[in-house]
Amino acid sequence: MKSVEEIKNIEGQLEQILYNVMDPEINLNIVDLGLIYSLVYDGENDVVIKMTFSTPACPLGDAIVMSVKQSINNVFPDYGIDVQIVFDPPWTTEMISENGKMMLGM
Amino acid sequence: MNNLQTDNAPSLSVVIPPFIFGSLSFLILTVLIMLTGSGLLGVYFAGKLLAITHLAVLGWSTMIVLGALYQLVPVVFGQGLYSEKLAHITFWLFGLSIILLVYAFWTSSYTTELLYAASLMFISLSFFGFNILLSQRKGIQNIQAKYVTAAIIWLLLTALLGLLIALNFSFHYFSEVHLHYLKIHAHLGLVGWFLSLIIGISSTLIPMFFISHQLDQNNLKYSFYLTNGGLGLLALDWLILQGTFLIPLYWMIISGGILFYLNFVREAYVKRLRKEIDTGMKYTVLAVLSMLLPMVISILIYFKLGIENSFHMRAVTLYGFSIIFGLITPLILGQTYKTLPFIIWLHKYKPYVGKFKTPLPKDLYSEAIGTVQFFSYYAVMIVFLFAIILQNTMLVTIGSYLLLLVALLYNINVFKIIFHKIQTESLSS
Repeated sequence: MKSVEEIKNIEGQLEQILYNVMDPEINLNIVDLGLIYSLVYDGENDVVIKMTFSTPACPLGDAIVMSVKQSINNVFPDYGIDVQIVFDPPWTTEMISENGKMMLGM
Repeated sequence: MNNLQTDNAPSLSVVIPPFIFGSLSFLILTVLIMLTGSGLLGVYFAGKLLAITHLAVLGWSTMIVLGALYQLVPVVFGQGLYSEKLAHITFWLFGLSIILLVYAFWTSSYTTELLYAASLMFISLSFFGFNILLSQRKGIQNIQAKYVTAAIIWLLLTALLGLLIALNFSFHYFSEVHLHYLKIHAHLGLVGWFLSLIIGISSTLIPMFFISHQLDQNNLKYSFYLTNGGLGLLALDWLILQGTFLIPLYWMIISGGILFYLNFVREAYVKRLRKEIDTGMKYTVLAVLSMLLPMVISILIYFKLGIENSFHMRAVTLYGFSIIFGLITPLILGQTYKTLPFIIWLHKYKPYVGKFKTPLPKDLYSEAIGTVQFFSYYAVMIVFLFAIILQNTMLVTIGSYLLLLVALLYNINVFKIIFHKIQTESLSS
């Protein structure tokens, strides 16, 4: 079991990895887009990510989820990654980061 | 996997053949338009014009819709397609019936060939209708699903009336002339099938591609009841009472429904997150705005405002043209760029996401070709509008060549997408 500081550090690394996962339609990474609701590392080998999509009918949903899992496994091959899709609260444009808004020309 | 929509996505063999058939039909359609030349300015019920119209609405538009709808079933209904086998059978029967039907009209073979074509058409569209309705049965029951259900019912009624008209050429049982039933057949198809489907599907896709949220769904509900109610009354009046003084009222009801839909799209446009509008959405926005054109023309026709008798026939041609080439065709041209690249991208790149750098769906086609195609298409629209109003054959010829160019460019991009070769780069590069 890792220390709280180590856990925070790894969670930071995991978040950085997710900055490279793009929503292929919007062409913006899923962190700046505000799709990641929470990311929890248990200090052992498990990561739980709660995320959403820009629309519940997102036709690219599982491609994004696969990309999340694969991107993390590229760096942490032994980690089990549980991606939970939630639609409550529903995603809104207010969830986009300032950086994301700038990239989208908002 | 959290009930994701792509878990239910159909296989490519169900979705792609209709896109190929539809794209080639569009190309053949433009060739037939060139061959017909000044005949386009003649009466709208002439054999060649009927061949062109049916190739446009069935071989081109409905065929592409077939492929796109199979893909969109999970998106709209949250359920997989009921039967892929039935979808394969439908494609072959429907394709064969279109070829037979266009041949029958082109050669004015209104008895044997037309009868076979219309029978086959009705059977194939029934298969399609059952497949979609059975897929929807256990799915999400929202307003979009209601629109799709209504559209399928109108499509089946259109095909049934088409079959009855074809049978009447051999057995002569109608009390009125063919043109009367042709008018009802056309409106069930254009307003019932296409309009209901366009509103139902676009009210899911437009906010999704614009990334617009918190839209007033009441606009769609009012639009649903007004467009379908108005069309139902119109069709019954024409069928049972042969057309009373109330016809303009039904038109106003339908127009009111369209205005509520336009208000929905306006709200989606204003609240859109994505400010940049790509080729696909440019077509879509202009197509939706073009809905106003047939509304205005129909008012001019029914109230005979500023229309002399000699212009009446041209106004009717213009009315049909504005629906098929003002609304349906650009919408399909545009939505092809929004759906087909995603379908192919998902199929080709799903195994590579996260492992390699992959292109984006929009990289699967040439935006430059799409842009030239877009401006050429609207040049075609303007040229043909003047050609019909002025009855100018020279303009028809120019418009035909331009339309052929549009179809060629569209086909280049469609086949570029379909035959896209996988390109990946290492994540570190």
